[in-house]
Amino acid sequence: MSDTAIARQSMPRVSAQAIAGMVVAAIVGVLVLYPIFFLLQAALDVGDPDVRPPTAYGLDNFAALGRYTGILMNTLLVSAAATAMAIVFGFVTAWILTRTNVPFRRTLEQLMAVPYYVTPLLGAFAWSLLGAPQSGFINQFWRALGGHGVLLNMITPFGIAWVMALFEGSVAFFMIGAVMKSMDPSLEEASQVLGASRLRTMLFVTLPLVAPGVLGATIYVFAEMLGSFTAALVLGLPNRFYVVTTAIYVLISQYPPRLPLAAAMGVSLFVVMFAMMLVYRRLVTSRSFVTVTGKAFRPRRMDMGGLRWMLFGACALYVLLSVVLPFATLIFSSLQRIAVAFPTAANWTLANYRGAMQMNAVRSALANSLLLGIATASIGTLLVALLCWLVYRSRLPGRGLIEHVAMFPQAVPRLVFAFGMMWAWLIIPLPIYGTIWLLLIAYLTVFLPLGMRTISGVMLQLDKTLEESAQMCGAPWIYRLRTVTVPLLRPGLLACWLLLFIASVRELGASILLMGPHSKVITPAIVESWFATSAELTAAMALIQTAVVAVAMGIFVMLTRQAAGPGVE
Amino acid sequence: MAFWNTSAEQPLELQSASIEVQDLEIRYGDVPAVRGISFTVQPGEQLTLLGPSGCGKTTTLRALAGLERPSGGTIRIGGHVMYSREHGIDIPAERRGLSMVFQSYAIWPHMTVFDNVAYGLRVRRRPRAEIDTRVRAALDLVQMGAFAGRRASQLSGGQQQRVALARACAFSPQILLFDEPLSNLDAKLRADMRIELRELQHRLGVTSVYVTHDLEEALAMSDRIVVMRDGIIEQSGTPTEIYAHPRNAFVADFVGSSNLVRGKLRPELARDGLVALETASGEVVYGDPCGRSPGADPTLSIRTVHLQFSAERPQATVNAWPVTVRRCVFQGDFTQIYVSWGGRDLVIRSAALEPVSEGQSAWISADPRRCVLLEGAIATAGDDFTVAPRHSPR
Repeated sequence: MSDTAIARQSMPRVSAQAIAGMVVAAIVGVLVLYPIFFLLQAALDVGDPDVRPPTAYGLDNFAALGRYTGILMNTLLVSAAATAMAIVFGFVTAWILTRTNVPFRRTLEQLMAVPYYVTPLLGAFAWSLLGAPQSGFINQFWRALGGHGVLLNMITPFGIAWVMALFEGSVAFFMIGAVMKSMDPSLEEASQVLGASRLRTMLFVTLPLVAPGVLGATIYVFAEMLGSFTAALVLGLPNRFYVVTTAIYVLISQYPPRLPLAAAMGVSLFVVMFAMMLVYRRLVTSRSFVTVTGKAFRPRRMDMGGLRWMLFGACALYVLLSVVLPFATLIFSSLQRIAVAFPTAANWTLANYRGAMQMNAVRSALANSLLLGIATASIGTLLVALLCWLVYRSRLPGRGLIEHVAMFPQAVPRLVFAFGMMWAWLIIPLPIYGTIWLLLIAYLTVFLPLGMRTISGVMLQLDKTLEESAQMCGAPWIYRLRTVTVPLLRPGLLACWLLLFIASVRELGASILLMGPHSKVITPAIVESWFATSAELTAAMALIQTAVVAVAMGIFVMLTRQAAGPGVE
Repeated sequence: MAFWNTSAEQPLELQSASIEVQDLEIRYGDVPAVRGISFTVQPGEQLTLLGPSGCGKTTTLRALAGLERPSGGTIRIGGHVMYSREHGIDIPAERRGLSMVFQSYAIWPHMTVFDNVAYGLRVRRRPRAEIDTRVRAALDLVQMGAFAGRRASQLSGGQQQRVALARACAFSPQILLFDEPLSNLDAKLRADMRIELRELQHRLGVTSVYVTHDLEEALAMSDRIVVMRDGIIEQSGTPTEIYAHPRNAFVADFVGSSNLVRGKLRPELARDGLVALETASGEVVYGDPCGRSPGADPTLSIRTVHLQFSAERPQATVNAWPVTVRRCVFQGDFTQIYVSWGGRDLVIRSAALEPVSEGQSAWISADPRRCVLLEGAIATAGDDFTVAPRHSPR
């Protein structure tokens, strides 16, 4: 660099970095805080319901929630039951797969991720087909075997909890498994060397060390359950069993809608979830126990002898119940004229698939969903990558605050967020209400935390000096990002794109409120079909969606692999 | 056996610039890391910032580079202000025209060796032919010419180190900064690289600032050393100055191991330009005042290697005392002998191999010119010696 160049730069000036920082911070702020503001406004609106902005403010809406203690109890009951089951699934499988010499350990570990991709929607459909009191396959078998009445009823609070637990069990597995993996085995060895028995070691060393991690997972899963919507909608609505999220949905979509009440309910829910997420973060970051050192240990695996095949069976059973059985059920039903447990030759058909493909609603909804998925994933990845860089790598003031704002949607159920958004964008003169643009904005907002978690993990692993050395070579910010940061973040960026794409195409909670008659998307269309048409047709639609997502993912992976070219590890 | 190509012509002509640091202050929140230090580096000079971990040396280096934002003071490079709190100037790192070798090497794993080294030139949009010649020259300089097409992930630690060096020199920076570049290498390689880096620096004649906590590295590589502790400069000078005339107890101890002897000044015994100190137990020790005025607590520093150990009474008329051997630790290159002297321990490092037995009576002596008077107002503990000579790093 010449001296004159340096001299010329000796003036304070606004850098590209600062501009980008302000723009991104402003976008994130508007996306997140603007709907929250309108949600709060609606919750406090006690004036004339037809006039906006509100003519009077008060806490009456919150006081009115007192009449809905039944719904609150339902929510707590279902969430507690689901959390308990999910943690048991997660703890048992995590213990088996990290601490015992179970056969086919690696394969099982990979399979444990699959339930997460089955989604509560597919799970709820499948278990409804399996466990409906009259038509459920399981009950049909039971009666065919000479049993009386109903063996298993899934259209119940238990059914909701069961479906959610199968889904969240996979999340619990990864959270608890990580804690068990990061425990230094010498802590247990020390206990044994000092003369303690295996049982004593387990009770007084292992359990206390793992306890904070399990507690953290419990709180996280419980908070997720509180905000969950899909399973409660599919399995609760037929019997008018409501939890908070489905109650909010009904309050909004009934006629006349009771929006302020729904808003108050939503605000209460997210305050509780927010508090729980705070406790969770405290617990995770406090590091009061040495278990979480971030160092990977090689866990000691106990030799279980012949028992190990039983343990294998336990893990396999979880995968069977959460993945194999639901998919088998849906595939079977989608190929039947009328889904009954004992098919006859005449009952097999492809008509459901043909019918689904011909439905205009499905075709345009699927096209909209794919378009939205691609747009959300592309714009979202760019936005999140910039955001992560600014939060974790820059020296911009206020970056900590930006991080908190961006992670905020995690504590708000998507349905509640969408409500705030609907309310917010209704009064904006921009004609985006009821179009897919509003859905795009909604997806970008509610999936910010998902993207942040994905990219920040990779970014924090990246040695800071790799970027600093580019700076020392004289590269300006944009050049640095292009030549060093982005290529090194590639795996994280691709993972982020894929996750955002999958999440968008399958989104229900926000879409169900925000989609308009001419901007239908696929998942709400499938739910509508479940309630309005036949289960067989719905099963076909759900499987088509799953297949399309899988194919799109496959194409994406192939394209990126080709673009990477030879030589890249 | 230099590792660079010694063939005559090479297109890497590095202009060197001076560095001036004035009252530099750096805080992390409320914690001061650097507390108002000043120093200058002449064009072509190699300066080392030496100190224990946490003394602020790396922070200072990063502030020079522009990677850390100071909270006060001024940094000038080649006469231009790079940072000034007063004038609100803070030139970003990429426009300061200097270069840096990182402790982690920071070789980009997604590029080839050639691309790594060419980076700085491509940033500057140099013509392709020039990039080619310069990268080849830089790689030849570090004897890595044959590796140009390799990926960084296929290189060993020592090779990555060399590529990092080539990358830092290739675009002819005015100044080279080194952040403990040798600390990740094994001991043998480190010793070789130390000498080679020094010679490379001489050949290129570029101004460089080097950060290390390794005394031997600092002594071997520097024109001048700045010893830092707790964010301030304890002493600066040439390696010999720092070693031979430490200013205070910290420098005396950090830069090699020393015995500190405290006592009362006995001006009536002074002669030949020496000062005389009487210890609490009545021994009189002569030392070199080095033109310093003793403070309220006069202290002499005697290096462990400058104490002579002998079985017989030495010929010296001053600074010779009978002692009893307390303990004797064989450490290979030297034997560390702890002797009881006037009721306390002194430590001697002796290269002699003859066996010394514990409890044996013997003599020690010290050349008064090697007993250095420390500057006044030192804050040593109440005792008049230190017997914790730091073990050599290896």
